[in-house]
Formats: sequence, structure tokens, C-alpha cells
Amino acid sequence: MSSEIAAGPVDQPQSAVERLHVAGLHAPADAILSVRDLNVRFNTENGVVHAVRGVDFDLMPGKTLGIVGESGSGKSVTSLAIMGLLPTTAEVTGSVRLKGRELLGLSDKAMCEFRGNELAMVFQDPLSSLTPVYTVGNQIIEALTIHNPAMSKQAKEAHAVELLAMVGIPSPKERLRAFPHEFSGGMRQRVMIAIAIANNPRVLIADEPTTALDVTIQAQVLEVLHTAQEETGAAVVMITHDLGVVAGMADDIMVMYAGRPVETGAVDDIYYNPRMPYTMGLLGAVPRVDVAEKSSLVPIEGMPPNLIHAPTGCSFAPRCPLATDACLEGEPALAPVPGPAAHRAACIKSGSLGGDVDVHDVFAAPPVPVSRFDAIPREERSTVLQLKDVRKHFPLTKGALLKRRIGTVKAVDGLSFDIREGECFSIVGESGSGKTTTLLEIMEFHKDQDGEVVIGGISNKQAADGKTRSAMRRELQMVFQDPTGALDPRFTVYEVLAEPLQNAGMNKADTKKRIMELMKLVGLQPDHVNRFPNQFSGGQRQRIGIARALAVNPKLVVLDEPVSALDVSVQAGVINLLDKLRAELGLSYLLVAHDLSVVRHISNRVAVMYLGKIVEIGEVDRVFDNPRHPYTRALLSAIPVPDPQLERTRERIILQGDLPSPLGTPKGCNFATRCPVFAALPAAKQEKCLTLEPPLEQVAPSPAAQTLAAEPLPAPDQRFACFFPDGEPDEDMLVVHESAGHHAP
Amino acid sequence: MLRYLAKRGITYVFMIFLTTSAGYFLAVSSLKPALLEQERIPRPTPEQVANSMRLKGLDPDLSPWERYVEWLTAIVTRWDWGRSPNGAFINAEFGDRVWISTRLFLASIILTLVIGVALGVYSAARQYRFQDRVITSYSYLAYIVPAPIAYFLVQLGAININETVGERIFFVTGISTPGMEPGWAQFIDMLAHYAVPTVAITLVGWGSYQIAQRQYLLDNVNADFVRTARAKGLTRNQAISRHALRVSFIPVAQSIAFTIPAIFAGGFFAEKIFAWPGVGSWSIDAISLQDVNAATATLAYGSVIFALGAILADFATTLVDPRVRVQ
Repeated sequence: MSSEIAAGPVDQPQSAVERLHVAGLHAPADAILSVRDLNVRFNTENGVVHAVRGVDFDLMPGKTLGIVGESGSGKSVTSLAIMGLLPTTAEVTGSVRLKGRELLGLSDKAMCEFRGNELAMVFQDPLSSLTPVYTVGNQIIEALTIHNPAMSKQAKEAHAVELLAMVGIPSPKERLRAFPHEFSGGMRQRVMIAIAIANNPRVLIADEPTTALDVTIQAQVLEVLHTAQEETGAAVVMITHDLGVVAGMADDIMVMYAGRPVETGAVDDIYYNPRMPYTMGLLGAVPRVDVAEKSSLVPIEGMPPNLIHAPTGCSFAPRCPLATDACLEGEPALAPVPGPAAHRAACIKSGSLGGDVDVHDVFAAPPVPVSRFDAIPREERSTVLQLKDVRKHFPLTKGALLKRRIGTVKAVDGLSFDIREGECFSIVGESGSGKTTTLLEIMEFHKDQDGEVVIGGISNKQAADGKTRSAMRRELQMVFQDPTGALDPRFTVYEVLAEPLQNAGMNKADTKKRIMELMKLVGLQPDHVNRFPNQFSGGQRQRIGIARALAVNPKLVVLDEPVSALDVSVQAGVINLLDKLRAELGLSYLLVAHDLSVVRHISNRVAVMYLGKIVEIGEVDRVFDNPRHPYTRALLSAIPVPDPQLERTRERIILQGDLPSPLGTPKGCNFATRCPVFAALPAAKQEKCLTLEPPLEQVAPSPAAQTLAAEPLPAPDQRFACFFPDGEPDEDMLVVHESAGHHAP
Repeated sequence: MLRYLAKRGITYVFMIFLTTSAGYFLAVSSLKPALLEQERIPRPTPEQVANSMRLKGLDPDLSPWERYVEWLTAIVTRWDWGRSPNGAFINAEFGDRVWISTRLFLASIILTLVIGVALGVYSAARQYRFQDRVITSYSYLAYIVPAPIAYFLVQLGAININETVGERIFFVTGISTPGMEPGWAQFIDMLAHYAVPTVAITLVGWGSYQIAQRQYLLDNVNADFVRTARAKGLTRNQAISRHALRVSFIPVAQSIAFTIPAIFAGGFFAEKIFAWPGVGSWSIDAISLQDVNAATATLAYGSVIFALGAILADFATTLVDPRVRVQ
């Protein structure tokens, strides 16, 4: 490896030219892509932002490198610098060598020989990454034409069909003529992958390829990427903020912070033996979907540094609980840690941070809060929200002047559940399953609704006048997904928090007192009340949103994806806060989230929705540990866990296709079209699924437990809607990654 | 597509009928041509005025409703839009006026569109460089200078050229010199009359298209799909011209479609200043001359043109944007 490592961490970094020279000499000859001392600077109005500061890595053929970090850590800029796609105003220095050829400094035209040919990229947002006015085939064929001008039209078309088939698009020949808007997000990301692998690239860079997608679709797309890598033998650079996504895929990991790699090494070393407090914090901040153990998450306080000012010490020191004065004297170099040769960390204390150090001790994770309601059995607590057979059907009409009804979208179809005091109830499901409509129906609270909503003893059927409705609003408040969009940018925090209080008729002095209380309650400094929302970070804004919801002392808080817009380290802090508030104030939550790990961490009970219906409902640990409905099983198996060994051996159910249109819902079970169990059933049993609608059934106590107990056990809190919960899933939909063998440490 | 056309057509016919009828009632109750007659010297007796008005179908003694029914019956049964107080037939006058407006505006609108869109693309590709700053500043200037002043300036320029050369090269007003022999001389005469208004209208008009096209293209230059195209191996300029340009043209195409029928409707200022008596100046004159039928006819014509524009805009959008399908 490079000489600075031999010199040791305390050595001052040499000049860039020297570093580059030495590093270049030491690049392994067989590396397909070698990056040395990559630096990117942007000239902005506020000064020069040093977005990437000295990134080095070697990528071996056919291997996968995962680049992990929070937003603003420089991972996307690194990938765009390699591709030569940064704006011309960016100043890029260092060296990027593809098969020994230097790419930096090449003109846009000269780079075109490599882009899309040996070097390809898949971008984050599939919805905007395809040109809306050209057919999908046109766009794939364009990639072929650019690098194979001599190829005949028929050959290109045939190859495009092959590519579409390879990425798993049904009836590829016809779909070639479809436009991007006729594809779902997951399908478009498949097309993006098809375009990227069209010319058999040697290096494939995937920049957050699944961040915008549902978990089930994420699993499909990751599978396609895996196939693409196997087919082309390309080396993959996988950029992500989600430690779960790369755990099963990557061979090596590079953790970036403030534009620099702070820890690099083999995937197992990083996950099981992190030597840099930031990596440890990141791993501790992620809730696990597969573990029931209740411990608080590890929040990393503070914000990443501003890269306009060159850091004089370790850039993580201001957020690091272990920081001492020594950390502020010079930035630590990336140096080898004791143990495996390739593992390096940029921390002067890496020697003392072994695998046996508990991250909860390092970061002083708060104790698990205990609510006074936890000791009371659920049945004895009072009900704060009850839904009885709530339905929301949207008519689908055709015609401009005279509208004809041609169908019905059953967005919510017969929903019943209740939430007791002090508990957190979550609704999970893919987008389009009716989660948001459910929340809207609850917030709507109108007597003409189909079904009954009872909030704190007030039924929507008696909510004729404004007075009852405003009484209801004091019982129930909402926290929104996007903290930036949910706060008026021209209101100070004081005004934001005062509004609900004034509405409730509170006088000025009390309002002021209450606002100070609220600020302390959500962990914000009370003297910041006169600031505007844009002066706060994302996590702090969400805290303001929570404070606003709590202002009128509601019993129930509706949380609509409260942490999905936040970075992992910030997310942990907000989740801990929600947990704490629930215990201290005796709140109940109704949480809608697509991240099942968050749901498992925070909720007591969970409902799984599919096409407007609850398919499984019950106590969260029961449902997650022993899922009965095939859809729950598929959802859970689709979520990647930040545990490389487990990830490699896990059996995964990959659901076929997208959520079907809720229009022509079949007579029987809604899920039959995608059900892995249904696919494996004999025709006689399939008939039952297709003709009868499965009701929600109670799970019986396990026979083993029953034989041990003297008297009959109470039925466990879990119900599901499936005729064949014990059916084996179809073999074709099961995936285990065989390539795992060579990873074993 | 035909069904769509028929449906839209019916809706618009209904709307045109409503606006025109409302316009007729407004005109018939506020415009009193008989009053103008009384200013004539020698002053005619009220009986004479009423008589002459009655002969032209403008009987002031009938109620607005009766006149409306009469007027509508004439249109529906004989396609007769009535007469002006001076006795001229609207139908006859109309054709001439439309033809004059069309001749005045056709060339300049085509030039406006072509130059505006081309300059928009050119300046977007050179954002914030010298060329872009000059072109875009000019467009904003053309935007804020009132059209009549700009027309006068162009006229003054043409007169200056005439004086410098010492010979009349350009006509600054009028359509043609009366009494020209058909042939080469008449063609040169036509060019000499056309040049000044065409240049003036074009110079004033392209600014808005340049600004729009530049803006829409810049919105798309850094779009994700342009980055995808570059990642495939296209140079930046290739990616922009193949991918961003067509997407950015979608909103521009829509506004162009609205412009095309407007050619026939003409413009009041240009027609007045260059003395081309087209539809635009007629509609204003009709009001000052208390001409009920002419005012209503120009209003009806404007509605038809607007409806055509809306349908054309739909077509244009469908043509360039596959996401939009008419049904």
C-alpha cells in the first residue's frame, strides 16, 4: 500500500504531488479502476467548498466496493468526478486510472469513449433519469449506437430486447416501444441498468440506485444489479447511505465523512470490527428489522462540518464522544489498524477500539424509556382511536362533459383497528397500499364518511358542528414527512408553535411559557425561538414539527413517515425522542412508515396493508418474528440487514412485478397475483384463493406452549388473512446468494 | 382523434355563441349610431335618421331582444352579418380586412418564431457569456418598450435611410402604390411596402420567444436525463441537443400554436401606425363609429381564432410530448 501508511498516522501529509507520485507507483497492476488523491473543489459565493478531499481506492475486476456516508459526505461527487460529469466549474485534481489509462484531464469528447462503454453509471432517481419524450428502446439503442456505429439496426434492436429481458422486464419486445412514463419506478430503474450494461462495462457505478424505491422493488432491483454484475463481470461501485443495502453485496467498504474516507476495509472488518467512532455510530444508529431486543439507538449529535473551511483537526471530533485535545491537532491519516492488512481507519484511537467495545457505551445512548402504561395490560387501557370498517372508494370516471363511471379504486377497503393509550401502532405496506389514505380518512373526520372513526370518545358520526371537530383536533395531531415543507419559511419557530395554542384560546403569557416548555421537551434550545426554520438542520426541523404537534397536549400523534427524509445518524436522535415522549407524556402514536426496521424499533403493534386491506395485524414482535401472511413474509425478507454474514445466507422472497392496479381487484384474495405461496399451490387449492376472500383469522397459541401450560392460553395478539399460511413459497421466487462462500472471514 | 375534435368543436361552438351573443347585447345597448347621424350637416330630421337606420337593419326603435333575434336569424339563415351605419356590408368588408391583417403579420410572425426560438437555444447554450447577455438584455428591452414607440423608431430609421440615400427606398406606411403595372415593378413596390412593418413587428416580437425558449432549455440542461445521456457517452452538447431541446420545446410549441391563428386577427397598433386597415383597427374603429354589427363580428371572429388556437395547442403538445394523449 502507499508509503504514508508505512510512515504512520502521526506523519504530516506530504504535498499532493508527492503523494500522487508515490501512490501511483503503488497501485496494484491488476486493478481495473485506481483512484488516487482525488480532490474536488467547487467555487461558490461563500468560498471554495472542498467537497472531496483525497480519496484513494483500487477496484479489482468483478469486485464490489461500497461507499457509505451521510448526505454531503462527498460520495456522489466522487462518483461524478470519476465519470467526468461534474460541472466545468468544479476543480478536480488527483488521478483516476481505468485499466492504467488516466481519465482526469480528458476533454468531454475524449471521455465519451469511456462513458457508457467501459465505465457506466446508474443514477438515484429513476423517475427523472430517462428522457420523457423518447421510447425506452430508443434510449437503449442510443447507448449501443454511440459505441458501435457499425452495428446494424436489427442487431441493435435484438440486443436491446435481450437487455430488457435480462433486467427482468416482461414481454421485452413490445415494451421496447413504450415510453418511460408507462413504466413504474422500479421498471425504469431496470431500464437504467439495461442502458448501463448495454456495452458490457468493466466498471459500473451505482449511485443510491434503490433509495427512491419500495423495499420489495428495492429487493428486485438489487437482484437485477447482481445478475447484471454476474453477466458482465463488471466491477461495481455501490454508493449508498443504507448500511443494509451494501452488507450483502459489497466485498469492500469505504466509509466517507466530510469528503474524506475515514475507514476502509473488507466488509466483515467494517461491520464486525469498526475502528473509527463514526463507523461505529453509523452502525449503532440503524435499527434492525430482525432483532427484537429493545435498546436505544445511537444518535450522533451535531452536524457534518462546513467544507468551506479546511479542518485543522479530525473533522469528526466535534461530534465524537471520544474526542480529546489530541484529536484537534492535525487531521489523522488513514492508517492500518491492528488485524487484517487491508483494514484502515482515520482515527488516532483506532488501536483501542476493538470489536469488544460496545457502541452504546461510546456514544452514551440514552436508557430505554419506560412508560407508565407498559405495566398495564393492553385490554385495561382506554382506547384513543378506533376505526370501524372504514372505506374510501374513488370512482374512476371517463369522459369530459358527461362522466361515466368505469370502475372503482378501493384505496381503503374495510379497515378496522384500535389504538390504546400509550401504545405505538404502525401501518406498513408498499406505496399504493392505502396507508396515506387511511391517515387522511382519520384526519377528515366527517359524518358522511363510510365507516366510523372514534377519536378520544368522539365519533365522526356525531361531528356535525365545528366545536366537536376542534375538540377532536386537540386529541389528535400530526407530524409530517418533509420537515422543510411542513414549516412556513416565513414563520419563526415561536409563531409556528404559538399558532395551535392561540387557536386553542390560550393567552399570551401562557403561550410563551408553553413554548419554552415545548422547546426543552424536544431537545431544542429555548433561546432559538426567534429563528426561522431555514436556520435549523433537518433533524431540528422535525423536532419543531413534533413540538408543534405536541403543543395542544394531544393524546394521539399521527406520524406520517417522520424520519424518512433524515440521515441515519439524525434519524436515530428523532426516533429516540419519539420513544422518550411516548413514555414521558403517555402518548399514543399512529405511525406510517415504509422502513420496517424503524417500525419494529418503535412500535408495539403493527398492521400490514395490501391494496387497501389489512392482511396481517398484531403485536410487533410476533408479526415480525413469526409472520403468517405470505406478503408479510416477503416484505420482511426484502429488507436488507446491516449484517454481512446473515445477509449472504438469508433466503429472500422476491415478489414478482409491482403492486397491481387497484382497479380490477379480483374476487378472491388480492395478493394472489403476486403470492409466492399461491404460485406453488396445486390448482385445486389455488381455486380457493381465487374465489374466496380470506378473512382475518386469529393465530392459535402454539401447541408446544399449550401442552406446557395448565389452563388454556389466551389467544396471541396476531391475526392474518390467508388460507395457506404454512405453504412453501415457490422456488423461483426464492433467492440465496451463492457467491457468499468466498467472503467467510 | 376525430371524436376528440368533434367534442372540442362542439364545446367551442357553444362558447363562441355565448360570447358573441353577450357581446351583441352589450353593443346594441351601448352603441347608438343614430346619435352620430344627427351631427351631420345639414342635420337630418329624427324621422329621416330612423328611416335610414331601419333600411340598414339597425332600427333604433326595436328592443335589443328583437334586434338580436333579427340579427341571429340573418346569420343562421343567410350568413348575413348585417350592415354598418354607413351602409357597408359586414360580410364584404370582413374578407378584405382579414386578408390585409394576414399579409401584414404572416411574414413577421414566422420570422419572430424562428429567430426567437433559435436565439433562445443559442443563448441558453452560452448562458451568462457575452452573447447571452447581449441577446437576453435586448429581449427584455423589447419586452418593456411599448410597441408603438418601437414601430415609430423603425419608421424613423427607414426615413433616415431614405434621406441618407437621397431616394425613397422604403415606404413607411400603406399597403401598395395605386396604379402600378403588374410585374417586376409591382413586386419591388410590394417589398418596399412590406419591409418596414415586417422588420418592426419582428424586432419587437421575438424577445418573448427568446426568453421563454432560453428559460425552458436552461431548466432542462441540468436535468437528470441529460446526465444519463452523457453517461451513455454523448458529449454535453450532443446530450443537450438530442435530449433537452425537445423536452424544452413542449411549452414553447404550445404558445406557438396559440400565435398562428392570431396572425389573422391582426394587431391594432401595427395596423394603425403602418396604415394597413386590417381586422385589428376595424374592431376599434367600429366602437368609435357606433357600429354594432362590425363590433360584434370582430368579437365573434376573435373567439373563433382563440378556439382554433386552443385546439392547435392541444395538437402541438400531443405532437411533441408522448405523455399527452388525446382521447
